[in-house]
Amino acid sequence: MEYLVVALMCIVFLQTRFMELRRSTILLGVQSAFIAAACLVIGIAHGGGLHGFLPGILTILVKVIFIPFAILKVVRGLKDEREIISDINVNYSTGVAALALAMSYMIIDRLLPGFEGRDILATAMFMIMTGLALIVMRARAIMQMIGMITMENGIYLLGLIMTEGLPIIIELGVFLDVLIAVVILVILTSRLRLNFSTTDTNVMQKLKG
Amino acid sequence: MELFLYAACCYLVGVSTFFFPRIYQVEAHYLSNTAALIGSALVTIATGGYYAGSLATDSLKWGTYSLAIDGWSSFFLLLTGIASMITSLYALGYGRSYEGNRLRNLGSNWNLFIVSMVFVLLAGDGFSFLLFWEIMAVASFMLVNHEAYIRTTWNAAYQYLVMTSLGTTFLMIAFLIVGAYSDSYSFVDMAHNSLTPQMAQWVFVTAFLGFALKAGLVPLHIWLPQAHPAAPSHVSALMSGVMLKIALYGFGRFMFSFIPTWSYWWAAVVMLAGAFSAFLGVLYAQMESDIKRVLAYSSVENMGVIFAAFGCGMLLKVTAGGHWYLIAMAAALLHAFNHSIMKVLMFMSAGSIMHGTGSKNLELFGGLARRMPVTAVCTFIGSLALAAIPLTCGFNGEWLALQGFITLARSSSAHDIRLLTAIAMILLGFTGALALGCFVRYFGIAFLGRERSEIAAHAHESDKFMLSAMSISSVLVMAAGIYPMPLMDLVAQAIGANTRMFTANQAMWWGTSAYSPILLLVVLAIVGGVVYLFASTAKYEVKEVTWNCGTDPTARQQYSAIGFSKPVRRAFDYILQPVRQRSYIRKDHAYFGRQLEYKLELPDMISRKLYQPVQKYFVVSSAFLRRLQQGSVRLYVGYVMAAMTVVLIWGAVIK
Repeated sequence: MEYLVVALMCIVFLQTRFMELRRSTILLGVQSAFIAAACLVIGIAHGGGLHGFLPGILTILVKVIFIPFAILKVVRGLKDEREIISDINVNYSTGVAALALAMSYMIIDRLLPGFEGRDILATAMFMIMTGLALIVMRARAIMQMIGMITMENGIYLLGLIMTEGLPIIIELGVFLDVLIAVVILVILTSRLRLNFSTTDTNVMQKLKG
Repeated sequence: MELFLYAACCYLVGVSTFFFPRIYQVEAHYLSNTAALIGSALVTIATGGYYAGSLATDSLKWGTYSLAIDGWSSFFLLLTGIASMITSLYALGYGRSYEGNRLRNLGSNWNLFIVSMVFVLLAGDGFSFLLFWEIMAVASFMLVNHEAYIRTTWNAAYQYLVMTSLGTTFLMIAFLIVGAYSDSYSFVDMAHNSLTPQMAQWVFVTAFLGFALKAGLVPLHIWLPQAHPAAPSHVSALMSGVMLKIALYGFGRFMFSFIPTWSYWWAAVVMLAGAFSAFLGVLYAQMESDIKRVLAYSSVENMGVIFAAFGCGMLLKVTAGGHWYLIAMAAALLHAFNHSIMKVLMFMSAGSIMHGTGSKNLELFGGLARRMPVTAVCTFIGSLALAAIPLTCGFNGEWLALQGFITLARSSSAHDIRLLTAIAMILLGFTGALALGCFVRYFGIAFLGRERSEIAAHAHESDKFMLSAMSISSVLVMAAGIYPMPLMDLVAQAIGANTRMFTANQAMWWGTSAYSPILLLVVLAIVGGVVYLFASTAKYEVKEVTWNCGTDPTARQQYSAIGFSKPVRRAFDYILQPVRQRSYIRKDHAYFGRQLEYKLELPDMISRKLYQPVQKYFVVSSAFLRRLQQGSVRLYVGYVMAAMTVVLIWGAVIK
């Protein structure tokens, strides 16, 4: 489990470095695969069975296969998407991620001293904060989607470690939520491209009254 | 109670006339106003039945919602029933002038307005009260906004909407505080609350602000002189005659049931707010030359008198004890009823003038008495009543109020109370004198003398519905003035005073002394008859044109409305702060061949000193908020992130 967590941290740090849409999306798939692995590990540790495996399998189906492919499909339509004008420098996002990691450890040490899953908890929090930071610091809609799913993965990990297995109905609900959010975002991105011929969300400021 | 539900059905029939096809709009108009008439008659009958019956508290419940009638609300129900009956009769004629101009909306909103007022009074719990209160506000907003194509009307309506929402906010706070300290939100439970004195103070502050706003007390009155002239006349009649009184009903409900242990300063605040409203209201009424604005400011004045009397009653109860306070409370209620019928009469006559001339500018009228004789007589009676002349109903309430103040002054030798009473008496004295001047001006300029314009020369009398409605209310005004005893019994019941105790305890009441309208009438009749018999000048009378140095008098030699009120304007220069502009259009010579242009503006002191700074503050602060609201999604997510970080760190630090 510890190895998984360290790998996740590395992947999220890498995520802040990547500006190219295709590579970011693939990395997101890898990140989700590690979450799915963590999910399966915890499921086996709790005795397996349908309830142990189902969340992991669902994660693989939805987050590792469906979402990255959906995003990739959109990305393929954005061949000449090259602008990096309104994006904030990558080094800042990595810096924010580092700060978030330090802050997560400090907060967890203070709030739950001696908690055995300290690293997992810190990683989850780190992912949430970094996902938010990615949404704030990236201008392109696809990158913001990736930020959102990173955040969602962090929340999922947090739920996994804190509750040691949610009721199946809630997990299904969470997956459905993410699925719908992604579908909406994909549609929104295509509309953005149609109307503004770019996916830079800063152009939406023109809509303000 | 069932009768009230039948009345509600009548009103709902009236509301449903909105769905009539356009070609039947006149039929819809007659149906809706007849429905309102019948419904109001049923309300009056039902209230009468309540009085005739055992006077037990009657109620009806659906879950947490309930309807109830008791002594306090029944008095206002009677007032609402009578006033809306008369105005609905008037609306049958007056509404016709809106044919082709959203006539069906007018009829259905009219019914909605009346039914909401009836049910505000019938509401037996806080939620239904607020619900119907809001329906009342929305219905009256739509009625004020009826002529929305006029820019000032539109402005007035939206100003009214903003102000009334503000008032409702205060009321919600008041109800929620009382409700939080009671078992439930029904009025019966709210009367047995466990409010601490500290919280009771807050209840008083919020309730007083909320109801004073609806009642139009200074400085919360600014919507009133805008909204009343903008609305169709029968609507302004009902708004002024009944809706303002419902604020008194609500305030009394809070004061008598929910927070019955009053503080000294509450009473002083209510009394002074009332007295200042009365004075400022009549002062501005004197200055206006729009007839409906005159009446609207006069409503501010009369609500001021009512609240001053109410405050005086509170002060008497807090200090002197005993049953002395009932006299001032009786004054407040009696004047509420009287003001309702006389203000309904005056707004109807103003509507009749507008109908006959097409204008509401006092400066254009003159000599209307010859062309509109019935309207003239009715307006004369209404003016007498509003100027509080004896033998009309307007006098009784004010006389009782002054009795209350005198009782207050005599009841205590404390300096502060004497000072308060002196201030209130001075203000009310000014009010009485200025009201007299105001209505002399109103009647004299409009109905006497010569025509000041073409429109006055071509004025025509109104139709029979309007005339009969005005005549009925004139008769009521005189009847309530000459024989007020039955009305007084109702008042005594409403405030829980025993009529017999009332006469025994106060030696100043009709039964035994001081003011007896019937006696006065008899004496006046005898004196008048004697004078007529012995000093009749008929033999020597010669009818001629007024001597005018050999030339014919013209309309321009009469007092103008602005000129008539000039002495008052000069005397109260400090308060009114008029802006005068006089310039020569043509000046051939120092003494003749001159043409002057005279402009007079009365910027409303309160809106300039109080409302405009607030408005400015909001505009400036929203400019600051615009900087936060950049419209960028990333910025908003950034705010979320910042908030989350702060909460996390804060949580960790607190731990």
